[in-house]
Amino acid sequence: MNRREFLTLAAALPFMGMLPMTTAKAGGQGQRILVLVRLAGGNDGMNTLIPHADPLYYQLRPTVAIPPHQVLDIGQGMGLNPYLQALKPLWDAGQMAFVQGVGYPQGDLSHFRSNDIWETASSANTYLDDGWVAQAISGKSNGLHGVVMGEQLGPLTGKDCHALAMQSPQVFLSQVSLVDDIAPGGSTPALAHLTSVQHQLYAAGQQLGSKLAHPVGLGVNFATSEIGRDLESVAKLIVSGVDIPVYLVTLDGFDTHVNQNVTQSNLLHHLAGGLSSFAQAMQRAGRWNDVVVMTYSEFGRRAQENHGKGTDHGTASVQLLLGGRVHGGIYGDAPRLNELDADGNLHHTVDFRKVYSTLAQNWLGIGNPWGKFGTLPLV
Amino acid sequence: MDILTFGEARHLVARTGLGAEWELIGRLQGKPRAEAVEMVLQQAVSPPKAPPPMTPWHKLEPMRLMDAQNRKRAWIIAQDEGKRLQGWWVEQLLATRSPFIERMTLFWHNHFTSSIQKTLQPSLLHKQNLLLRQHALGNYAELLHAMAKDPAMLVYLDGYQNTKASPNENFARELLELFTLGRGHYSEADVRAAAKAFTGWGVDNNTGQVVFHAEQHDASRVSFLGKSGSFNADDIINILLEQPRTAELVSEKVWRNFVNNGSPDGAVIKVWAQAFRGSGYDIRTLMRTALNSDAFWAARNRGTLVKSPVEILLGTVRMLPYPRESTTELVNLCRLLGQELFDPPNVRGWRGGDNWISTQTLLVRTSYLTKLSRGNLNQRVDTGLHLPNVPPEQLVEWLLPVRPVQALPSIPGDRRLVHALLLDPAFQVS
Repeated sequence: MNRREFLTLAAALPFMGMLPMTTAKAGGQGQRILVLVRLAGGNDGMNTLIPHADPLYYQLRPTVAIPPHQVLDIGQGMGLNPYLQALKPLWDAGQMAFVQGVGYPQGDLSHFRSNDIWETASSANTYLDDGWVAQAISGKSNGLHGVVMGEQLGPLTGKDCHALAMQSPQVFLSQVSLVDDIAPGGSTPALAHLTSVQHQLYAAGQQLGSKLAHPVGLGVNFATSEIGRDLESVAKLIVSGVDIPVYLVTLDGFDTHVNQNVTQSNLLHHLAGGLSSFAQAMQRAGRWNDVVVMTYSEFGRRAQENHGKGTDHGTASVQLLLGGRVHGGIYGDAPRLNELDADGNLHHTVDFRKVYSTLAQNWLGIGNPWGKFGTLPLV
Repeated sequence: MDILTFGEARHLVARTGLGAEWELIGRLQGKPRAEAVEMVLQQAVSPPKAPPPMTPWHKLEPMRLMDAQNRKRAWIIAQDEGKRLQGWWVEQLLATRSPFIERMTLFWHNHFTSSIQKTLQPSLLHKQNLLLRQHALGNYAELLHAMAKDPAMLVYLDGYQNTKASPNENFARELLELFTLGRGHYSEADVRAAAKAFTGWGVDNNTGQVVFHAEQHDASRVSFLGKSGSFNADDIINILLEQPRTAELVSEKVWRNFVNNGSPDGAVIKVWAQAFRGSGYDIRTLMRTALNSDAFWAARNRGTLVKSPVEILLGTVRMLPYPRESTTELVNLCRLLGQELFDPPNVRGWRGGDNWISTQTLLVRTSYLTKLSRGNLNQRVDTGLHLPNVPPEQLVEWLLPVRPVQALPSIPGDRRLVHALLLDPAFQVS
């Protein structure tokens, strides 16, 4: 660069910030939202949705099984873990569904690998880099695609998926205030990508900043657990009218090799409490019909308990879905406890990509790369 | 002819080093191109310092096989020591006097991936890192043979479970797909044949050393890439090294890492691959060919590579005298920016390029660079931060590979200018 070029640049007027991204569709009210709840560590499906009418369940789990009188029966021989009590009213209202036997062929028993498989919608033997939401949503809509309460973007990972991970909206706003607006463009493809992403980031900061400047009360007291606080932050963002279709929160600690029931009861109690408050907040704000909540976990656990009153890594598990427009009920066939695989694990009956296919196609109305897996009449 | 200008010396240092270090640029400026490239290729090796204490395999592995409680203990140890091992490499990347060796070690780490999370054996990953370092500019044929018998690799790609009775194709598949030929240049039958030839190699549970169990080796005749015979591991690798594709695949990767993240120029790759194979897979020869090529120096290829998290986090503090974050925090930032050392996302490694940048990672990069450079920007205050005493336009040319995207500050002062340049999108590219 010569001196004249330098002076020209130095003298240029500060960039006249472009207008924040305005999306074609009406933001906020009425937009469909998916809230993902990651149950990290491998949640035991059999003690979440309990096959309490099957005597084999009690034979396989002499100490870990939930005693029959504690199970909250919901018909079809199945019942809820008693620590999900707070969600029972949603079940009774037909706004809560389970997909059971959900998994994939040749289930991987490593936390990291199986979590990657779930989050990228890959098969056991293939490796994909982008998250499943990113694959379906990139390029399909403008604006911010997702917000993660936490650090890792998981299913929202991808260079063209506009997602943010934050400890809280307040921390994000202070960070994003450092980002200048910039006109997309640049002399190389790398700079074009960078400036486009920076513009998106700036626009996201503007949108969140303006919406959160006038906080709306939720009228519901959330529990002070971490999952409670994270769900409260998500509820505030939704009620404020920001235009974000996907959220992700995480509840960690489900790797229950030892003394499972103490740990899992506690976690499910926090989960049910947080989700119940979340549902109430959405109902009060008139948004419950616009929201679907879905849990996922990297795997379920071994059918038979181990010697430490716990369970080891398994395969198929259950997913819980909630929402004003969720068609309540139990989907998929219960894995047969008398037909375990060579490792003593459940055979899956529903491929998890069928659930993604359902949400992408019938709920979010975005791309559906998993059409071949079919859909479930969940929503 | 071909005497390096400041801008060209800067380009060579930025692409082969960790940050466009002022002093290195000064040493290369004014030298003939080929001589400057040679100086980079012949950087004296800075041996890494001793690693943090790590529990050896023969203590960790039996613990994992014992019961749930000990397995958990082994897991916690592996996580803890894994973090310290990441810190060890971060400190080496900060301290080294031979940044090109580190760049090449990272290059091979991203080629022969292995992860502390899959293996849960930090000590084996350290050992593998030393192997990558030893061959960083050595011989690819030797490196490939050594990798096939590297304990971390045997665990990472399940080679240690590959036996005559129960073959595991994982290593054989990646050997063909990622390390040598690339997709489309072999059949499934070739994968099965290679897997057979590799049966019997394992890791001794008591010593952590690689062992060959002859009774688990399948010596039956197979057909592999048009040749048939009873092959062992070395035979398979030697057949792969006879294939022109192997040198092309490595050359393509060099192109994407050092020249341009787009599709490589097929004609140029042929030339590089011929030089590489012709030299008996001498890596220094390949890099000499690449760094002297017109493609490497072409103006159209400036600013086409997105800096990796390591370049942003560590390269920036190597080139500018800002106080650095703690090692623990740098390890943490590597994770937030998507480049956890010793833990690539999957066997294909980090995709890099534009994939380094998403709304989230750009937010973290911006926060990091802001925090680093904010300080007192008033030029009348002496903060003790000393930047090269050169005209502002040279500071711009030093810090950015292409013209800045944003307007520069109208208030004079070098600290203010550098702060603005660090936050310009052009600082994110090389």
